[in-house]
Formats: sequence, structure tokens, C-alpha cells
Amino acid sequence: MDDNRLLRLIQICVPLSLVSFGGGQSIVAGLQHQVVDVQHFLSAPAFTDFYAISRSAPGPGTLIVSLIGWHLGGLLGALAATLAIFLPSSAVVCLFGSFWHRHREAAWAIAVEKGLAPVAVGLIFAGAFTVIQSAAFTWKEAATTLVATGLLLKTKIGPYPILGVVGLGYFTLSYSGLI
Amino acid sequence: MDKIITEKPVLSAPPRVTLGELLFSFLRLGLSSFGGGMAGWTHREIVERRQWLDEEAFMNTLTVAQILPGANPVNLAVYIGLKLRGVVGASVAFCGMLAPALVVILLMFLCYQKLAGYSETHAVLQGLACVGIASTLTMGIKTSRRLQRVPLPVLTAVGVFLAVGPFHAPLIPVVIVAIPLSVFFAFYGKRGSTHG
Repeated sequence: MDDNRLLRLIQICVPLSLVSFGGGQSIVAGLQHQVVDVQHFLSAPAFTDFYAISRSAPGPGTLIVSLIGWHLGGLLGALAATLAIFLPSSAVVCLFGSFWHRHREAAWAIAVEKGLAPVAVGLIFAGAFTVIQSAAFTWKEAATTLVATGLLLKTKIGPYPILGVVGLGYFTLSYSGLI
Repeated sequence: MDKIITEKPVLSAPPRVTLGELLFSFLRLGLSSFGGGMAGWTHREIVERRQWLDEEAFMNTLTVAQILPGANPVNLAVYIGLKLRGVVGASVAFCGMLAPALVVILLMFLCYQKLAGYSETHAVLQGLACVGIASTLTMGIKTSRRLQRVPLPVLTAVGVFLAVGPFHAPLIPVVIVAIPLSVFFAFYGKRGSTHG
């Protein structure tokens, strides 16, 4: 096991945890940039695989860092990475939750709430963009993503039936040598 | 215009909840947290089934979980645990919410490692990644609908997207610059719109 790399992963996760406004998806771009481009912990295709697993598994998508932790340092790595991404934000909730709740009607609190929203939106789309880039999209992926987005936005179909159909479809295409 | 009617003291008299019950509830939730919709599941368990929080207390909890950094389901668990049983309760809820998901995802990862040699594995994951991206896009679109229709927030969102996405600027510095600016704009531009 490489302790140094695990330590660097923790150093990446802690600040990301503290700025993950808008939920876990807002830090995917920053995470990908650090672990793939800067630290070279894993390749872009491997990141896409990990991302796909984390989005298909139950629980928050942020658990992708647990997979990166496992990749670097086995079970201990997975646990350390999980704590590094979830503990700092949870500590913020414990420390500031009640404080925020008490002051939520204050002018500054409303401004913070309104001010955070555009940053979160920018980060969420940046995350999608980054994964699209690392997944090296062709027409096939673009079409899949568009149809899936349309279904999620316009119908009541949940992600699981869509994941099932898409997974089966891609398996069939791959198995029969079409992709 | 929504008026804030007399607010019930949320933190004053929470029902007595044992740590075991708390752990059991959040383990259940952690196992059922498939494909988002966590707020709904948590509401069902905590408000309807256990009646540990009333409607209003739950909504307030949800707001706090969404506004503070971190994955919303985990924040929700931690804050509910904190309200019901203090820091120990928060830790129990944290573990309950994450442990099942962590076990499942690591098992999936073990399967992935066994199957990584087949090209079909990567094809399937490529497809699943598309659905993941789609759900991120859906979330982004829904969140952006809540933005005010004035130039500054829109410009901020586009600016952050361009910097962190196409231009690969490091996320942390971008956020450290963008948040104070955005909050400053919101503070001085707030008269233009009503809250809600």
C-alpha cells in the first residue's frame, strides 16, 4: 500500500468536502481534475468506470472517493477516503446546523443561500462536463445521455429502470461486437 | 407571500430515542437509498413511521441539510441524529447511513475488478455513466430553475461552469473567489425579488 498517495487523496478530499455546496455532484469536476490530471492516481477511463459504479450503487455518488481509496490502499484506503469526504461536511452540519437554523431569516443568511445557488449550479454542470470529457463521448453516449435526461426530467421513471435498460443495451451491443 | 407563523421550538423537547433505534432506522435508510429520493424515504421513516420529528421540524432539517456543504442524505442523517441524541446520535446516524452503502459499493467494486478484463464490462459502465451524467444534468437543470432571472447569478453560474469545466481551473480557488462575490451580489441585489 502506498501511504503517501493515500495521504494525498485525503488532502484532496477534505477541502472538497467543505466546499461541496449543492451536494456531492458539485465536486466531481474538482475530484476528477485532482486524481486524474494532477496526481495520476488513475486513468480517465478508470475514473469513468468508478463514476459509473458510484452512480449505479445505492448511497451518495460521493462514494466514488471510497473506490479511489480502495484502488490506492485497499479496505483501509476506502475507509480513510470515505471519512475524509464525509466527516468534514458532517462536522460543519454539527457545528453550524443549529446556528444556521436560528439565523435563516436574517438578511445575510438569505443572501448566502441565494449566493450559493449559482455557484452550485455552475459546479454541477462542470461535473457533468468533466465526466463527459473523461468518458470520451461519441454520438452513442450523447444520444443515451440526452434520452435519459429527457426521461428523468419529463417522466416519473426513476433512474433504476433506465440504468437497467441502458446496461443491458450496452452489454448486448458489446457482446455482439457492435461497439 | 408566505408568512412565518409562530415557530415551534424545534430543539426543545425531542422524543426520547434510543441509540439502537436511531442506528436501526438509519441502517434501513442507508439500505433503501437507491437512486436518490432520500429526502422522501427519510421523511417516511422519521416523520411518518417513527414520529421523531414533526412536519415542520423535518422541513427545517432538510433545508439545513441542503444549504450546508456535503451530500444531502448524509447531512440529513447527521442533523437528525444531532437533534435527537446530540453528537453521539449524529455519529450513529452517520455510520448507519453510510455503512450499508459502503459495503454494497465495495462489493460491486470487487466484482468490477474480477470482470475488468472483459470489454463488455467497460461498455456497460460507459452506458451507466451516461445515465449518471443524465441524472447530474437533471439535477443541474432543476437547481438552475430556482435561480433568479437576473444577469448576475446567471453570469456567476456560467463563469463557474466555464472555469471549472472547460478551462480546468482548480475547483477550490474558484469556489473561494466565487462564493463571496455571489453572496455579495445577492445581498445588495436582494430588494429586486421576493423570497420564495
